[in-house]
Amino acid sequence: MAAVNFPSVQWFEEIRNLVNGDPEFKKLGTCDATMGIKVSDTGKMLLLTFEAFECTGVREATQADLDASDFYLEMEMAAWKDMLTNIKKNGAADLNHTLNTIDMARPTQLAQAKDEYRRDLFYRFNQTFQDFFNASAKIETAF
Amino acid sequence: MAEEAAAEATAPVELPPGLIEKALAKGWTEALVRRGLQAGMMVQQIHQALDSGMTAEQAEQSLPQEGQKLEFKLDMGWTKGTSEWGIRAKPTRKGLTLSAINIGTYGDIPDVWENQTEMPRGASPIAGVQSMGYSVSQKADLWSDSAADLYEEAIQRRWRPSLDVQWNTLQPLPDDVERAMCQICTELSEYALLTLDTLGKWLKELSYGYHEVKMFLATQIYDASHQFEVFRKRALANGGGLGMQSPGIFGRHIADARDWTEVTVLLHLMQGSFLQTLYSYGEFFAHNEAEKAIFRYCLQDVTRHIAYGVDHIRFFLHKRPERQRELSQYLSLGELAAAADWEKDVPLREALAIVLAGGKDKINEGFMRVNAFRSRQIEEYLRHVRAARLGDRRDQLPPALAAYVAQPATV
Repeated sequence: MAAVNFPSVQWFEEIRNLVNGDPEFKKLGTCDATMGIKVSDTGKMLLLTFEAFECTGVREATQADLDASDFYLEMEMAAWKDMLTNIKKNGAADLNHTLNTIDMARPTQLAQAKDEYRRDLFYRFNQTFQDFFNASAKIETAF
Repeated sequence: MAEEAAAEATAPVELPPGLIEKALAKGWTEALVRRGLQAGMMVQQIHQALDSGMTAEQAEQSLPQEGQKLEFKLDMGWTKGTSEWGIRAKPTRKGLTLSAINIGTYGDIPDVWENQTEMPRGASPIAGVQSMGYSVSQKADLWSDSAADLYEEAIQRRWRPSLDVQWNTLQPLPDDVERAMCQICTELSEYALLTLDTLGKWLKELSYGYHEVKMFLATQIYDASHQFEVFRKRALANGGGLGMQSPGIFGRHIADARDWTEVTVLLHLMQGSFLQTLYSYGEFFAHNEAEKAIFRYCLQDVTRHIAYGVDHIRFFLHKRPERQRELSQYLSLGELAAAADWEKDVPLREALAIVLAGGKDKINEGFMRVNAFRSRQIEEYLRHVRAARLGDRRDQLPPALAAYVAQPATV
């Protein structure tokens, strides 16, 4: 399997196809949210859309897109790499690398939002987002 | 047609074996049985009449006279009450949801629901049905535009504590840490019972004109049962047991609320915010996958409950802006009760300190973290108060809570 670069639309499309074809992902229930991804030190930004039982879209984004999203996950590249490498190694995030744990541990929160109330969607659908990233254990990632 | 019916009613009928014997034993005559069958009764119906104790005299009076057929007439008056006949709600990507069937006049949510019975919205009332005594019957006092969708979300995202938590990942913990976890679980299960009782008490007060809200709150009761169940299970599953009960000051304050929006302010906004932080910390400091899952599922649920609270209060204030100060009063009194509870709850504070530090030998570090935890709880509460459009209360907090806001909000 050829490695796919993170972060890229192609990388998230791979994950999107994996979870959308996974009945277990649907069992987590509905999720309606727009989630941005930001690599703070490279400036790379993407926007993911979740509707009903699926991730319905991934695209390149601007800061304005992220500000308009429900929330966005922002970390420097090394932290993204650490999280995804951990997921690949364990098949899923271990106790120290879940989204909520990273959010709590960082001096600046992982989940950012222009609208402080809409940030709650990070908590409300947390298991869905966790399983989304956990699915990356099934692909080869290049950084 | 009448001639055909008369001919049928006098046509010879076959008397099945066993029926005549039974009829004669019960005092009926063969002619009476024959008359019933010729009138169109089925053999089974005559058996039932005999078995139910119908006497020959009663049969004589109730059966059609010889030569006449049983005739059933339809009234069909009840069909006139069906509104918008021919309506076809269409499934969405999430299936046929509550929102999807709120179409046509069924989607009109009245400002006041006068009907005092359990009549579903959209049905036709009949006179004389006894009142159920609903006391909250104005939309402003309970409505949330998101209630229908939150109900669907709760149903779709339900989880099973017995199966969806990897209980086999529990490992023995140092005695002090296990005792601390058990104390936290004891209090969390107690909070769940409070939610269960409070909502149970109020559901019967909320009018059925707003079934979306009642259905959502029913899911919150279900969630509270989960919460009670899962924390009790955690306390009993790893060699520990239940700890001490909580002081219950804030709980009693919620239970004593006299107005549904006051309940929402205290239960959904204040208690919800405090629990959201506790669950988030619980996930962070979890010792195993089982605890991770428990706290993550509970975090999802409580955030959904907060969403109802925020949306309801926004709607309430939009309709009743003159009552903003009243809601602020509820917050002030609730803050005092919450502060008293926290002050008196030594077991919870010590248990949190032990868990957050990883053991009682690092208790100073633990209490530093408890202070940060409390700070975050209050910041999250203030965030939801602002989201509900109740303003910034930072400068109005009682000193016992304000002291924590000055703390650095890092773990």
